[in-house]
Amino acid sequence: MSMTSTASPAVTAPTETVTPPAAITPVVLSGKRRAPFIDFVLRFARNRAALVGLLLVVILIAVALAAPYYYPRDPLRIVGRPELWPFANPRFPLGTDSLGRDIAAVVAHGARTTLMIGLFASLTATIIGVSVGATAAYFGGWVDEVLMRVTELFQTVPNIIFILTVVAVLGQNITNITIAVGVVSWTAIARMTRAEFLSLRDREFVQACRAMGMGNIRIMLGEILPNALPPVIVLSSLVVASAVLFESSVSFLGLGDPNVASWGGLIGQGRTLIRSSWYICAVPGLAIMLTVLALNLVGDGLNDALNPKLRDR
Amino acid sequence: MLALTEDKRPQPGRDAGPLLSVDEIEVTLFTRAGKLTAVDRLSLEVKSGETLAIVGESGCGKSISALALMGLLPWPPAKLTHGKVVLEDRDLARLSEREMQDVRGKDLAMIFQDPMSSLNPVLTVGEQIVEVIARHDPASRKAMRERALELMRKVKIPDAERRFGDYPHQLSGGMNQRIVIAMAIACQPKLLIADEPTTALDVTIQAQILELMKDLQAETGMGLIIITHDLGVVAETADRVLVMYAGRKVEEGTVDTVFDEPLHPYTRGLMGATPSATDQPHGRLSEIPGSVPALAALPVGCAFNNRCPSAFERCFAERPVLTRPAAGRQVACFAVQQEGA
Amino acid sequence: MSILSARSLSVRFETPRGTLQAVNDVSLDVNERETVGLVGESGCGKSTLGKALMRLVPAAEGRIFVSGQDITRLGSKAIAAIRSDVQMIFQDPYGSLNPRHTVGKIIGQPLSVAGWKRADIKARVCELVDKVGLPQAALDRFPHEFSGGQRQRIGIARALALNPKVVICDEPVSALDVSVRAQVINLMKDLQAETGVSFLFISHDLSVVEHISDRLLVMYLGRVVESGKAADIWPAPAHPYTAALLAAAPVANPKLARSRTRKTLQGELPSPLNPPQGCAFHTRCPIAQARCHEERPLLRSIEGHAGRQVACHFDLVTHQKTPDLAATETSYVSA
Repeated sequence: MSMTSTASPAVTAPTETVTPPAAITPVVLSGKRRAPFIDFVLRFARNRAALVGLLLVVILIAVALAAPYYYPRDPLRIVGRPELWPFANPRFPLGTDSLGRDIAAVVAHGARTTLMIGLFASLTATIIGVSVGATAAYFGGWVDEVLMRVTELFQTVPNIIFILTVVAVLGQNITNITIAVGVVSWTAIARMTRAEFLSLRDREFVQACRAMGMGNIRIMLGEILPNALPPVIVLSSLVVASAVLFESSVSFLGLGDPNVASWGGLIGQGRTLIRSSWYICAVPGLAIMLTVLALNLVGDGLNDALNPKLRDR
Repeated sequence: MLALTEDKRPQPGRDAGPLLSVDEIEVTLFTRAGKLTAVDRLSLEVKSGETLAIVGESGCGKSISALALMGLLPWPPAKLTHGKVVLEDRDLARLSEREMQDVRGKDLAMIFQDPMSSLNPVLTVGEQIVEVIARHDPASRKAMRERALELMRKVKIPDAERRFGDYPHQLSGGMNQRIVIAMAIACQPKLLIADEPTTALDVTIQAQILELMKDLQAETGMGLIIITHDLGVVAETADRVLVMYAGRKVEEGTVDTVFDEPLHPYTRGLMGATPSATDQPHGRLSEIPGSVPALAALPVGCAFNNRCPSAFERCFAERPVLTRPAAGRQVACFAVQQEGA
Repeated sequence: MSILSARSLSVRFETPRGTLQAVNDVSLDVNERETVGLVGESGCGKSTLGKALMRLVPAAEGRIFVSGQDITRLGSKAIAAIRSDVQMIFQDPYGSLNPRHTVGKIIGQPLSVAGWKRADIKARVCELVDKVGLPQAALDRFPHEFSGGQRQRIGIARALALNPKVVICDEPVSALDVSVRAQVINLMKDLQAETGVSFLFISHDLSVVEHISDRLLVMYLGRVVESGKAADIWPAPAHPYTAALLAAAPVANPKLARSRTRKTLQGELPSPLNPPQGCAFHTRCPIAQARCHEERPLLRSIEGHAGRQVACHFDLVTHQKTPDLAATETSYVSA
């Protein structure tokens, strides 16, 4: 009624001077309207560094996907003379390591390992972290007390020692490493989720849902979680980066999966030769550095794009 | 030489020129979406001992005007892009930030809506008053403490000695607003700007604070600008009223003339929309259709044209300028002009 | 018949600094097609009372009835069934709508919770947006695309979705601009006339409450201090606190504002953690006597004034004790 009458029916606006905006009748429904996703993309794209990071991540994914195509055979087999410097032999553009394995093949296949571990570890951490944090904040009281003490317990255990112990006990394979990394990384996500849930739990829209008799699970998953997710997603993207580092450390210490090509493993093997053939460490080291940097940049971009406080409304 | 210094202080009672005269200030917001005019050529004057109320709804530019007067515009995005702010005979808009710091708190003071967020939570309220005195009028520690206590008594804080060492969170909203007022008047400002000073407070506390501000003004003869959305507060406190809409002044006049005979359709709409004790209960409130337009989407012509009951062709084509239908009265409306002519 | 009632309802919160008695022995009735105003300053327990009636906070003592059925101890399954009868409108038009949902989804939520079919929900939602004066195009938009007043319309549409018998409105217009406030108040009145819904209208704003309410309850520190028909209380408040509230409210009329000799209530609200002995208002009351410090006045009917109740030993209707306060009021109303 009053909304639609804003165009003042009695008034006939002169057609020449006034360009009647298409949406003058439904008052605020005017203005540029974009789908939320496009909005998100535009905001992400505003951060140049994040775009560079995204580009690097895309390249990494491409390398990982293309690895079996370019290097269809086992990257860990010996292919030539050991300690061939990069560009010395066109067959081995990145040289060979101390055993004569093709570094390019190891790096390309290592990208697969790295990405898999990073993604799945982060996913594990996010699922555990969100469940714990959300449950603790939403139900409060003793549930909160218990879950938070458990979280603190996990935080007090030094991460790398925990991972090494798990791998040493359960066996040196990629699944165990992934789970171990995921299990040490969830605490930060749990705390973040809890904080978000706590601030959202008492908001009026949640009360409105309670007032209409909505169930707890539906309120948590359907109402609060979508609002709590943006900062969690940012954190999860950073967990991918730290998982990459954890995996490298574990492999560097010689506890990685011996049957899988890995960047950290390559560095570990190359470290004894660092004076003579430093490139063996440098090539995978550079790969790790760029990957972690790229993931952090993407995380930053996600933060800009998802953080409502920076929204210019 | 002596005569020169003597002239500096405002002399309440003696009718001189305006204490503050603001001439066509324009505040522009530089946003990603482009330049927006938040305050559009606003002029106003305040005399010593006088209270001017600036009324309008959220987004009308009243608060940002106040910040412009104080030189406190948040850059980015807001910037004073035109106009003069003359306090006595100095143009504040031309002062450097450093010189402005000397003016703020001393000649010109401001109080904000939320007393809690305008006080520092980790300092005691007493120390915060002392800080203001130390900044502008340093004396011995003991003397400043005495002054602060005296100020606290002046703003009627019971048991000032004991309250001196309290932190803001230990005091109620009303008490904190009194502390903020004490800080504002610590250096006897010539002009006090109060931005929604009672909006966050309960009615009974609001009445106390308004009364306190009136008393302080009567005592010190300072000029007072009260920014509010509440016509009740205007009627209770102001000598003159300035109504703003979408960054522009639409009407100005003495409080009696504006309330007796509001000219601008927006002012009339506001008054009709305010339920008051005098109209019959359960009657329909007259409403202004639509909502305040966003700055980025102001209509062409008069900014109020899409909500105005008396808008006609000209209002959609041109922007009305301020006219003076009577002495001390201003209005920016074509419909009023037509009637008058 | 009363649709929503409370009998001797109390709500307590445990805080680190002790027990907070937010609502203390409050009884009220909301009848059909009636608007009951609940007024008081911040911290008087009015919002908590609203939430307790919705069973959003647990009642420590007392009972709540909806259409005669005792819902105080109903389990979550059983309570879901009566949710459709009692709904709520919230204060903050920005906080009360989930920013991640479209308006259509928000308005349809109570229906989907109640188990409606998708097609029925859609039809009902279209009808509702129309009813609250929003265009159909609004359904696919997100809350942030709307102004405060329009969001409050969305909130109202959501509250009315299941055709409730009573809606508890917690400061529904306090966050709105003056011009928009009038739109929302008028809309609520129109909807009441159309659907016969009752409102419990919680507000600190006397002018709005007076405008919309049939009956009125005034609360101070968790207790009802005065109740009765709005038309009776306004011209002649019985409790000194009501009188003070009325006197403190600014009047949008400069001549009247100057002419009335206002007596400002002194002092501040005492801590609800440690309410004063005797009458809770005695620390600020202009007419307090020795008796008020010791003996708490009970809510009692005022003789000769049907339907009026007051909790004061020396109420202003039976005892004409305070010429200054009474005088303020008469001049205030007569003008």
